[in-house]
Amino acid sequence: MIDLAIGAELEAEVERVRGLGREFLRPLGIEADQRGAPVPPDHPFFAMAWRMGLGQPLGVEERPGRRGGARRGVVLAEEMSYWDRGMSVAMPGLGLGGPPLFAMGTPEQKERLLAPFRDREHPHWAAFGMTEPGAGSDVAAIETSAVRDGDAWVLRGAKTFISNAMRADWIVVWATVDRSAGRAGHRAFVVERGTPGVEDMRYEHKMGLVAYESSSFTLRDCRVPAANLLGGDRHYAERAGFKGAMRSFNATRPAIASMAIGIARAAYDAARDFARVHYTLERAVPRYQRVREKLARMARKLEVGRLLCWRAADLADAEQPNEVEASMAKAFAAGIAQEATGLAVDVLGDTGVTADGYVEKLYRDVKAMDIVEGTGQIQRIVIARRLVGLPSA
Amino acid sequence: MSFRLALSDEERLVRETARRFAEDRLLPRLRAHEQARGVAPELVREFAALGLVGAEAGAFVRALVLEELAAVDPGAAVALDGTGPAIGFPDAAAAGCRAVVVDDVDDRFRLHDGRIDGEAPWVPADRIDVAVVLKDERAHVVREGFRLTAVKPCGLEAAGASRLVLAGAPVAAVVEVRHGRAHLRTWVAALLVGAARGAHHYAMRYATERTAFGRPIAHHQALAFLIADLAIAVDAARLAVWRAAAALDRGETAEWEAATALAEAAEQALFVGPSAVQILGGHGFMKDHPVEKWMRDIRTLASLGGGREAAEVAAAGLAVEHEAGLR
Repeated sequence: MIDLAIGAELEAEVERVRGLGREFLRPLGIEADQRGAPVPPDHPFFAMAWRMGLGQPLGVEERPGRRGGARRGVVLAEEMSYWDRGMSVAMPGLGLGGPPLFAMGTPEQKERLLAPFRDREHPHWAAFGMTEPGAGSDVAAIETSAVRDGDAWVLRGAKTFISNAMRADWIVVWATVDRSAGRAGHRAFVVERGTPGVEDMRYEHKMGLVAYESSSFTLRDCRVPAANLLGGDRHYAERAGFKGAMRSFNATRPAIASMAIGIARAAYDAARDFARVHYTLERAVPRYQRVREKLARMARKLEVGRLLCWRAADLADAEQPNEVEASMAKAFAAGIAQEATGLAVDVLGDTGVTADGYVEKLYRDVKAMDIVEGTGQIQRIVIARRLVGLPSA
Repeated sequence: MSFRLALSDEERLVRETARRFAEDRLLPRLRAHEQARGVAPELVREFAALGLVGAEAGAFVRALVLEELAAVDPGAAVALDGTGPAIGFPDAAAAGCRAVVVDDVDDRFRLHDGRIDGEAPWVPADRIDVAVVLKDERAHVVREGFRLTAVKPCGLEAAGASRLVLAGAPVAAVVEVRHGRAHLRTWVAALLVGAARGAHHYAMRYATERTAFGRPIAHHQALAFLIADLAIAVDAARLAVWRAAAALDRGETAEWEAATALAEAAEQALFVGPSAVQILGGHGFMKDHPVEKWMRDIRTLASLGGGREAAEVAAAGLAVEHEAGLR
């Protein structure tokens, strides 16, 4: 029989996130949203959180193979995003730069690149740069080129929407040595802060999730030492790049899906609390039954979505293939989370569309969850490939 | 340790046994059972002898078995698990009984002097041993004095279909509903999951074999996406049912879990059933394929045990106090 208890150990971690969320994550997320700019890297909160040993719980393990890592990931990702998804991405740590380093990096690279992250006095960030202005879901289409020149590689191209790139110690930048080879031509380079040729670094102005920076930059004859080719030449001779290096079970997609659930839960709570305050009055309110039905639908959908996330994470921890289940969780959770935040706006009515109502922020924030880490359409393509052999092109 | 959603080896074995029974014994007689409005008594005995849903079977195992049966024939599943709907009302239905449970959401039944009057326009049976009528938090057990008149149902023909009239029927026992309604809703929801899965799998296979415009229709993205969404729908509904069933087996009231399981299973199955017919196009509309039957069965199941309406009303009543956080 299934068991949905999260257990005392994880519950204690969730409780810690709750405290952090109530006091810092949500207020800072709202403040950033109203100011229209990310929380700056020198904000005292980041230093404090870093000293406490908090990094991004993205469901991606810093120590691969840790027992229950994917399950821990989905639970903490949901709770962090319940308080503020933008702030959860803004948290210092390796972020998405971690998985390629752990999966592909040589021992020397791991030692050297992780060193700054062992400094618990000052917060550090890493970043992952794949997306380009002309290549989003279709990663095989990236155009940033890498050409060997002596003991260095020269990178030319542009990257966009890269989380935390501006404040990162290093960015894993993906480039191609042979565009005609698709993914097989991809190479990952660690571009360290201050490397000449990283230009036009700027953050984009977003509809939501304002608290963290999504940065864009240009690589203009950017010379990267050969020692920063992730995994070294041998890795690419032997294996098929990042995808080949990653395990076949996916912990990131269920974690991202859980973030959507977290946002939806915040919307549910806001709508439910609004209903409690405004509809438990003596006088009968005509739309009360409608409000209750919407609340029931929101709670039901987010709880079912959570089950899909948890199943995918459970499979990942059991080291069983979960590609279909991970995509199902992502497709479903992002969809219902959008619906739920919209219903919350309905429940709050004209208050719902003002900043005071809070839910309009969630409505803007959550849209990204159906776009990042594979759009809802990409998830359906992944599922259909497995179920009915939908051809790749 | 944190949550687990995998089945145990024993549960897998139960599921496998139920699946084999459904494929060997129900599938070949799908339309025969429909026309006969019932399954043969020998088949009922044969299923009972497997011991899959005996008195000691929990709600979770029962949900696994019902999904397997309903993935082939939801109507036959209702006929085979005769005590199933009443399982949450202790002593109401002995083993081998055929029970129906009517949740009197529209207030059609009246009690007087230890007797009950009223009628239900449809119950999924042609012959019953016991009827349980739920009025709010009381369950009224009736063992005699029924009048059953055959009606033509939208679906679930293999279970039978009658108008149930109770005219001064003696109430044999009155018990507290307690977990009974949650068991009933979980039972219906499990059948919906099975019917939806059967329809999805059939349509999915068809879509890989049927070609149009030079390729399998499943490789046209409009249908590929629909098939993916149907797969998600079935899994979402199943997990909701598993959660409710597991809560019941842990002894929880599971009122919220069961109401939402039925609401979710009904919504998803009602999306899957007609979509499966749609995928088969004109063939889907014909009785040569079973998808039209599953579509009708699903529509019919969603009105059973108070139906999705009562489940959604119940969930709405709980929503304002509900906590959706991590526990």
